[in-house]
Amino acid sequence: MSKDESGFAEFFQESWDPCVRAVAASTGDLLLAEEQVAEAFARAWTAWRKVSRHPAPRAWIVRTALNAGASWWRRRSRELPLDGHDVAAPSKGAAGLDTALLAAVRRLPGRQREVVVLRVFLDLDVEATARELGIAPGTVRAHLSRAVAALRSELAHANPTEADHVPH
Amino acid sequence: MSRTDPMTDSPELRELQEAMSGVAMPVRPPLEAITTRGRSHRRRRLSAVAGASVAGAAAGTALILGLTGLLGHAGVPKEVKTASFMIVSHANGTDTLTINPSELLNPSQLEGDLAQYGIPAEVTTGSICTSDPAPAGFAQVVSSSPAGPGTATPTSGAQPTITIDPSAIPAGTELSIGDFQLSSGPNAGEQQADFVLIDASSYTCSSTPPSSGILPSGYGPDDGIGLLYGGQSGS
Repeated sequence: MSKDESGFAEFFQESWDPCVRAVAASTGDLLLAEEQVAEAFARAWTAWRKVSRHPAPRAWIVRTALNAGASWWRRRSRELPLDGHDVAAPSKGAAGLDTALLAAVRRLPGRQREVVVLRVFLDLDVEATARELGIAPGTVRAHLSRAVAALRSELAHANPTEADHVPH
Repeated sequence: MSRTDPMTDSPELRELQEAMSGVAMPVRPPLEAITTRGRSHRRRRLSAVAGASVAGAAAGTALILGLTGLLGHAGVPKEVKTASFMIVSHANGTDTLTINPSELLNPSQLEGDLAQYGIPAEVTTGSICTSDPAPAGFAQVVSSSPAGPGTATPTSGAQPTITIDPSAIPAGTELSIGDFQLSSGPNAGEQQADFVLIDASSYTCSSTPPSSGILPSGYGPDDGIGLLYGGQSGS
């Protein structure tokens, strides 16, 4: 096995789980995420010389997978609503992905969801996320703050505390 | 780094991380399945008719890259759409790549999709990657109409069209595409896209937009193409 091939093999072995996790969190569909990420790794293999030099190869995989998924859905003319965010409604059997928190992540605007996924699941810091998305670090922080606020609000509505029901 | 990090201060994001850590991931497929799939992509790419065209856009309209190829085959996307660009395969055998200048370009995704059409590219926003010396052969890879390669004219007048021939890209080189939002100078407020060749094993990237002639330093009129689009015509 050449050095290039072993490098890809190692990257594939170490990155499969976190990349599928990131894509599944974004789409809510574990089976689709598996297909999308496999497609992304196949593309990465054909362009490994370039992808290996990318500052964040896992981010390349995740973003390629998410975009492959968007076109996959359009080709298949699925009936599931995309909700204007290029995210499919979760399929049945996506065990563990149907929590209120993950549903709230899927309802985030596309850019906020992208920032959250890169930060939370790929451990990219603000600077790396900014470089990956081609935006300013301050903009990354703004997206992240808005996303956190949105998630907090959604969770509060989904899980009202007793204080919300104090009779007056 | 000492600045406040919303990540570490947010229980919601920590909970999200924990929630997904408890979900069993699908078993990783064998490496051979991935490489076999990749080889089939390569075969489809190599069978496509080489050629692509790029058109500079006037104010408020999109930059068009036209890709000529035998697309629409099984497994090749008929349409890829993101906020910043779209690739559409047409029934007449041509394919268009539309870049939306009002959205931030998605460099890594555009690179990946260009790669599917046999165009190795380094796409950057807010910077341009160059090599010293500039690789030869740009004129065989990229041609333009009506003015030919070199400095592009501002947004008024006929839209320039650029054609990219993937089969003519010299070994060891890649197409470098640098996209800038200009904030100063005579073209402030406009968007600038530069196309040059780079040595894939030796290049540097600069965040300084090329100034005079719209091409990077070290690149002559036959070594690249610069486009101005968006903003206000005649400004």
